Formats: sequence, structure tokens, C-alpha cells
Amino acid sequence: MSTTNTPAGSPGTSTTSTATTSTPDASTGSTGTGTTTPARRGSIRASGSLFGWRTVDLLTVAFLGAAFGIAYWGWGLAYGGPADLLGKAFPPLQGITAAPWLMAGVVGGLVIRRPGAALLCEVIAALVSMLPGTQWGASTLVSGILQGAGAEIAFLLLGYGAFGLGAAALAGALSAPLEAVYEWQVYWTDWGMDYKLLYGAILTVSGAVIAGGLGWLLTRALAKAGALGAFPVGQEVRETRAV
Amino acid sequence: MLTPDDVPVAGGAAGRVEVRDLTWRPYGRREPVLRGIDLVVPAGQRLLLVGPSGSGKSTLLRALAGVLEVADSGELSGSVLLDGTEPGARAGAVGLVLQEPGAGVVSATIGRDVAFGLENTGVPRADMPDRVASALAAVHLTMPQDTPTHALSGGEQQRLALAGALALEPGLLLLDEPTAMLDPVNAASVREVVDEVTRSRGLTTVVVEHRLGPWVDFADRLVVLDSAGRVVADGPPGRVLADEGEALAAQGIWVPGVADPDPIPVPPGTFGPGRLGAHVVALDAVDLRVERSVRRLDGSTRTSVAVDAQWLQVRAGESHALIGPSGAGKSTLVLALAGLVDRQGGQVRVHPELAVEGGRDPRDWSTKDVARTLAWVPQWASSTLVASTVLDEVMTTSRALGLVESEALARCRALLGVLGLGHLEQADPRHLSGGEQRRLAMVSAVAHQPAVLLADEATVGQDRRTWAAVVGILEALRDADSAVVVTTHDDGVVDRADRVTTVSRPAQPPSPPTPRRPLVARAGPLALLAGSLLAIPAGVVSPHWRTSLAVLATQLVLMGLALAAPGRGPRPRGRAAGVAVRMVPGLVGAVSVAWSTWLLGTRDLDVVATAGLRVLVIVLPSAVLIRYVDADALGDHLAQQLRLPARPVVALAAALQRVHTFGDTWAEIARARRVRGIAATARSPRSVLDEVWALTLGMLVRSLQAAAVLAVAMDARGFATASRRTWAHAAPWGLADSLVLVLSLAPVAVALLAV
Repeated sequence: MSTTNTPAGSPGTSTTSTATTSTPDASTGSTGTGTTTPARRGSIRASGSLFGWRTVDLLTVAFLGAAFGIAYWGWGLAYGGPADLLGKAFPPLQGITAAPWLMAGVVGGLVIRRPGAALLCEVIAALVSMLPGTQWGASTLVSGILQGAGAEIAFLLLGYGAFGLGAAALAGALSAPLEAVYEWQVYWTDWGMDYKLLYGAILTVSGAVIAGGLGWLLTRALAKAGALGAFPVGQEVRETRAV
Repeated sequence: MLTPDDVPVAGGAAGRVEVRDLTWRPYGRREPVLRGIDLVVPAGQRLLLVGPSGSGKSTLLRALAGVLEVADSGELSGSVLLDGTEPGARAGAVGLVLQEPGAGVVSATIGRDVAFGLENTGVPRADMPDRVASALAAVHLTMPQDTPTHALSGGEQQRLALAGALALEPGLLLLDEPTAMLDPVNAASVREVVDEVTRSRGLTTVVVEHRLGPWVDFADRLVVLDSAGRVVADGPPGRVLADEGEALAAQGIWVPGVADPDPIPVPPGTFGPGRLGAHVVALDAVDLRVERSVRRLDGSTRTSVAVDAQWLQVRAGESHALIGPSGAGKSTLVLALAGLVDRQGGQVRVHPELAVEGGRDPRDWSTKDVARTLAWVPQWASSTLVASTVLDEVMTTSRALGLVESEALARCRALLGVLGLGHLEQADPRHLSGGEQRRLAMVSAVAHQPAVLLADEATVGQDRRTWAAVVGILEALRDADSAVVVTTHDDGVVDRADRVTTVSRPAQPPSPPTPRRPLVARAGPLALLAGSLLAIPAGVVSPHWRTSLAVLATQLVLMGLALAAPGRGPRPRGRAAGVAVRMVPGLVGAVSVAWSTWLLGTRDLDVVATAGLRVLVIVLPSAVLIRYVDADALGDHLAQQLRLPARPVVALAAALQRVHTFGDTWAEIARARRVRGIAATARSPRSVLDEVWALTLGMLVRSLQAAAVLAVAMDARGFATASRRTWAHAAPWGLADSLVLVLSLAPVAVALLAV
């Protein structure tokens, strides 16, 4: 595994060792000690211990979550029109307009790559989006926990080692089921089981495409913009486009 | 190894720094930023570190603080030792003050902010007040400790950052261009305080600056890096300047006593004849008044007067310098001139020759008309980039306006060459340094030869050579009969301006006396969240609209109780209105749910009303309670009551503290797109999608950059190792909390009784 050579340990401790402390192989996944073969092409694990959250990990997940929270709140104001149109055509189709709310967990996981990142990011987004007032009140927070937990399960299943488009789609998809079951109890109480199941399926597929696909694109775009220099995804992008 | 023994050292027991063969290449750069640095700083020495733009001064400073890899990743070799151990070995042993005022603020009040490092290092709560008070006194911040951090001026914010470092009793103090973004008065106040505290405490001090002048008397030693990140001069400041002054000036370093460089001429023919004759009034601002409102998360707004009774005539072929202290409203005035902010009074009119279909107020124009006539260079160049190569970036407006491609290309290349960016044509603009991005923004603004250029702090952070290039372009545009307006603290720019206008901070309306607090404000954040969450079962178990109505009535009574504000003092205003505003999404949601239930084929008014009312029951308590959740308190309670891990909780509180700035970023990017001719128009849905994507991405990028800088500041105050933290404020569960909890159960009980 190339990942054992990933640079940047915990802050404040790694800058001062007397020998060369970092090697470049982790960033390219192909050069280096010779015995290493990348486990999965293109995905670098989080640096240091998987549970060793650095300050920048914590702050990035918090700021990402907060920014998504604002965007979520905005979507809460804008989604009504499209959702009504879809609902008129076939009520369970409203799962499509619910999918954007699954994106924070996907992006948090793709960027930070540590256990808990997806859950934390989605929960913070939910918390922030309910602060200015939403049509779901504190129920937003419950949804955030369930959606984030779903995304977290996806990254856990992949051993926090794969963060490509497929992983993003899986995280987006798994964000949906727990949320769907919760919504059955709270919002769609009048529906029959056929509608409920279809809603869950549509939310899952939209989650994979919209939250997963767009979330993956957004993460790449953020890395290309130079905003993720401290993270594996930033290394993946930057080392291929050195200036 | 450089250890000049003729450099005087002022006492100081600890704080010896030893750097050996330090090399650092961040990922994404082919060449190292620091290359084989060897440096020994004896304890108590005051060292001034200078070098041209991009020489790695700030990077070396971060390496000395042991925070190089906090927000960046790359290849590192060599060592840094402070008194024989790693700089991070004792939290707070190294104090770090960053360039941007406020970038390291973690708390809502100044006292709490200074206590941050003490909390991280596990200082007992009882010992904190004395240490906070003495740190604040040392930097002459005499206001009450509950003063909001956002109310400080830039200079005060820098002194606050210094107090936060001093509270941890560092042996080494690092200052990264601490006065670069301040006006002269604020800059002097920071320098005086730095001089005083480092002398009285015998601190080893390293100051990075690109303008040496004001710091020469302060320093014992001057170290110069060259553009390749190597040490090229080292010794007592007087001697280094005498021996190497001319060479340093030629490298671009601002050496005291050396005259400002001559502007670099723009190749003749770059700009054609202007649209107006020289000295004609191009833009006329009459009695302007602009109010700025910051909308906070809780729905409250703070309004201040940014510009008041301002008159200004901007003439073609002349350059105008707008000067005045930070916070005087210069940047807002510039935005108002370009019609990029709403104004509350006065008029802006362009010369009739520049008018669009008779309209003389740029506020009414389309994005392309604005771009054709007006250009704006923002202070924050990084968030306004729109393209993925430097060449596309500078061609953006010319292409939006449909100018002849070959001519525009020639002009852009000439200007890029003048500003030293010619070799970067195909580079990604977002990967350039801050100084390079500012120059790029300048080219992007002037390449289509606008009739009026509005440049906000155009020369900040430039070295002598790039300064000469920026001033050369400003003057070339002026000589082509454009009107040039520059806000500035730079004496060199002011001296060369044709007209100088001093902008002073408008009188602010007196802040009203603190109103009485509603009862609910006495409850802590956890009780408020719990009360909001209890609305969910209350809504869900209500079987029928009659029950929901009874539950809702109970909630409304409780709301009246919660918002009551007994006691003395002025009545708090807008309580019910605030709830109403926060209920709007809930009402929309209720109607929408009722409507879709109807569409579903129920067509039964009973069922429809039940579904709609259920939404209101769930939403109302949040609309009342959540507004009173305070970010700092939320962190305190989550950690102390619920025993959640300290560091994530503090990160959350810090992020909540900054959320209200996200909207500013959004607005700034939208302005930049409008003035460059690429804003969304209602006619093109594609342009709307482009704009939403660009604004969202830009907001995320800026917030992530803020997070990275904050991480550096927090780790410099011991946050990385703060697993056993203490808390400056206790977070007890009080009577008010219990009452909120019990009373929030009442609606649930009403619902259950009906089941």
C-alpha cells in the first residue's frame, strides 16, 4: 500500500524530524519505494492515523457543513415549485427534488476521508440550514443524522480507502434509505406501501446520481480551485498539474 | 550556517531557534519554496525577515511555528528546533500573528478569544480571568471583555491576536506582515505594542515584512531571502542596508531611503483614444448614502452607515486617490460608484456620452453595458476568478463584449508582459500567489479599456517591481483618457494622483440601549434544541386536525410566555415579527403539504387540514426557540453537558461564528461577474445555472480557505493537542433549561391525551 508513506502527520510534530520526513510516492501512487502498489488507483487515504483528525480536518468539515447548510436552506425555498410539478405527475417522484439534501455527507467524506466525516458534515449542514427557519423545523436535524449515517456506512463498507466516482455514488445512494423510512413516518403517512417503496427507490437512485455524481464533481472542482491543498484529493489534482 | 556573532542580543532565557537545511516543496509546485535554509536565532533576538514576493517568507514563518503542514501538504526535509525541541512540543511556545486581521478569531467576544489558548492547554478556569486580563492589558485593549470581536478595528484585531499569543507566554513570537492590511494609524499602534511587549518580555521575535522602513529601528538583525527561497543577506539592519541596499531594492524589496521606482511604461499603442476628452466629468456622485446590513443567522440584522453625504466627481484623464482610515467606507463608495451596491440616498450619473439608451445610472444597466464602461478591481482577487487559464481570465470581458479577438489578445499579452505574468498564460489562475492574482485582476479589469477604472487597494502586497508595473498600467490608462479611481493607504500612489479625496467614517446612529431579554433567552442551547425536537412527536402523534389545533394553541400560549420580557429597560422589538419571518417557510410547507395531499386524491378536507396543521406544529417551536441558540454557548454545552469530544465541538462553534460572512462572499462574486460582463440574464437559463454553480463554488472555496487559515491560527494556540481541554465558561443546566424542557412536553401531552 502506498498509503503508509502519505506525508503530513499530525500537525506540530512532523516538521522537525532530522531526516527526510516525507516521500512523494503517496501523491502519485506509482513511484517510490518500489514495493508499493496502489491499492486502488487514484484514491489516497487520509494522512496519519485514520482516526487522527487534524485541526484542518475538523474545521474543513465544519465550514463545508455550514456552507452546505446555507445552500440547503436556499434549496428549501426554491425546491417547492419543481417538487409540486413532480408530485402532480407521480407523487413518489418527489424523491428527485429531495436528493440535493444528501450531498454534504458525500462531499465531507470524499474530502476528509476519515471515519465520521460524512456524518458530521451532513449533521452540521442540517443544523445550520434549520437556524434561519425551515418548513421542517427540528426535524431537519433528525434527517441530517439519518442521511449522514447512511453516507458514513458507504465509506465504512469501502474501508475508508476508495473515493472515486463509484464510492461517491454508493455514498449518495446509501444516504437515502434511512431518510426514506423516517419520511414515511413523518411526511408520507397517508401513502400506501407501494408509494413508500417507490419513493425510497427513487430517492436512492437520485441520491447516487445527484448527491453522488454532483458531489464528486464539486469535490474535484474545489480541489482544482486550490481549496483542498491539505487533503488527499488536493494532492491528487495538484501533482498532475504542477506549476 | 549563519550565526553572526556581531548581532546584539537582548537577554531572554528561552527562545533559541535553530533551522537546519530546511527544504519544502508544496505539492503542485515543481520547485521548492524553501531551499536548504540554515538559520540560528539566539534567544531574545528581534529579527526582520524580508524578501521579494513569492520568496517563501511566510512559509518559513509557518515552519518556525511548526504549522507548515497544518493546511498544506508537500515534501519537507531538514529540521526546526526551538530550545532543542520541536516547536509544537509545548503548546503556545510559539506565538503567531497572521496577516489578515480577524483571520484567527475563534470566539464572539474578545475575552473568550484570548482564553482560547488557555483552554487548549488545560489551564484551570479559575486562573483564566487574570491571565486574560493581563494579556489584554499588555496590548492596550481596554474595552470590556464581552466586546464582540467583530466590533474591533483591523489594528485592534491584530492586537487581539497578539494578546491571544501572549496569554500562553511564548518564548518565540512570529508576526506575518502584521500591518500590511492596516491604515497608517492602526499600523503604528500595532508596531508600538509589538515593540513594547517583546522588549519587556525579552521575546525572540521574527517579523516578516515587505516594507522594511517602519521596522528597521525595531530589529536587531535583518535576514533577506531571494526569489528562489535562499538566504542572501544577514546581519545588523544598518549594515545590511548600507552594504546591500541598492541590490535589495533592485530585487524588489522596499528599502527605506530609496526613492519609489518609476512606473514601468506600457507599450505604446496598447490603449487607443478614450471615449471622453481629458478633464470631462465621467462619473458624478451626488450626496451618496449607503447602509450596510449584516444579517445574522438568528435573523437579526445589524445596520451601519458605510457612506454618507459623499460627493465626488471623477474626471476622464485624471487619477483620483481615495484615502482615509480602514472602515471609513472607501470600498463601499467604490461599489456605489459602479452601481454594485444598493444605495439609500443620492445619485450616480455617468457623462451623457457614456449613457446607455439614455440611462445615466450604472445601477440600471445590463451586465454587458456595465462591463463596457466600468471596471472594478476588488480587494479580494482570489474569489473573483472565473476562468481556468490566465489568458482566458484576462480575455473574459473582451470576449463578453465581442471585441475583435486578435486585437484583444495582443492587448492582453502586452499587459501580462508588463506585470510579469507573461510566462503564466496557460497556468491556472487559482494556483497563483496572492500578489500575482491581484495583478491578474488588474489586467482583467483594464484589457478592454474601460472609461472608468475603480481599483480597490491596487498596490497592496506588491514589491517594488510589481508596484512599478501596476502604477504604470494605472497611468497608461489615465493617459488614454480613462478616469482612474484608486482607494489606497500607499503614499507612493497618493503622491502620484491628480486628485486626492479623504473619506471619513460617517457618523453612526447611536446604538440603542440594551433591551430587556425575553425569558427564553435565559435557557441554554441544549434545552432550546430539545424543545424544538419535542415538536416532532407532538406533530406526528396528533391524529386529527382538531387535536393539532389544540396542540398549536398550546404552543402559541407557550410562545407568548417564552417571548415575554419582564423587568426594566426598553422593550425588545421585533420578537413576534421575527417568529413570523422564520415561520414563512413553515407556512409555505404547510400549504404545499395540504395541496399535495389534496392532489393525491384524498379530496377530504379533514385529512388535508390534518396534514397541513401537522407541519405547523412541528415547525413553530423551532421558529421561536432556535434563534436564541448562541454559537459559543452551544460549544460549551455540547462538550460539558453531553461530553461530546472537545475539538469537533469547538470547530463547529468557530464555523457557526463565521456563517454570516458567507453571504458577503456570495455578493462579492456576483458583483465581479456583473462588472465583467458575464452575469446571468433572465433570457438565458444556461447563464443562470452557470452563475449558481460559480457562486456556490466560490463561496465554498472562500470558506475552505478561511478554514485553512483558521486551522493555522488555532494550532499555533495549541488546538492540535487539546484533547483534555478546560472551558473558560461553565455550562450548567439551569432552572430555565428545565422549564423549557417541561413546558415543551405540554404540547406532546395534549396530543397524547387526544389519541
